[in-house]
Amino acid sequence: MVTKNKVQIAWRYGFAIVLIITGLLTLSYNLKNEFLGFSSIGTWLIYVGFIMLAVITLQLISNKKRIVDERMQLIASKAGRITFLAIIIFSFVIMIIDGFKQITIPYSYFMSYFICGIIFIYIVSYRLLLKYS
Amino acid sequence: MKTKIKEYRKKLKMTQEDLANKVEVTRQTINALEQGKYNPSLELAHKIKKALKLKSIEEVFIL
Repeated sequence: MVTKNKVQIAWRYGFAIVLIITGLLTLSYNLKNEFLGFSSIGTWLIYVGFIMLAVITLQLISNKKRIVDERMQLIASKAGRITFLAIIIFSFVIMIIDGFKQITIPYSYFMSYFICGIIFIYIVSYRLLLKYS
Repeated sequence: MKTKIKEYRKKLKMTQEDLANKVEVTRQTINALEQGKYNPSLELAHKIKKALKLKSIEEVFIL
């Protein structure tokens, strides 16, 4: 269990470092398109990378013992199914809305809203199922 | 599924938290089991039987 945790933490650190390096490379190639309110995609990647590093380090320092039992795993799989269904339904709704009136927001904004929506639906459905099932 | 977890737990003067710590699950899972809202796996049923110092699973879980 400890080894698995160490591997997971190493992967997370690795991903955060890859984000920062990609950000630095993007900056060095002078790709300066405005991205999600940041001056360039490079600065955004570096920002996300450092936030990730901070979160992982805080999780490591707090050293809180987390119990994940079989009921929680079952609920997580149910919440995953609900989220998947919600993605399909929302995709159809967005397609229909786009048919009536074209959606003209930038792709990066659209995807960030979409991902936030997915995370929100998953967390809400997980919490509700955990409480009421 | 009906369970007698609460009955045996009270006999041993254990709280839900104590039993949860012994069988390595959350207190909410013990509560769900006591209320018959969740059916445990065979592994968890064995752990509960052991924690409640019983001889067989059938003593605590009734189909």
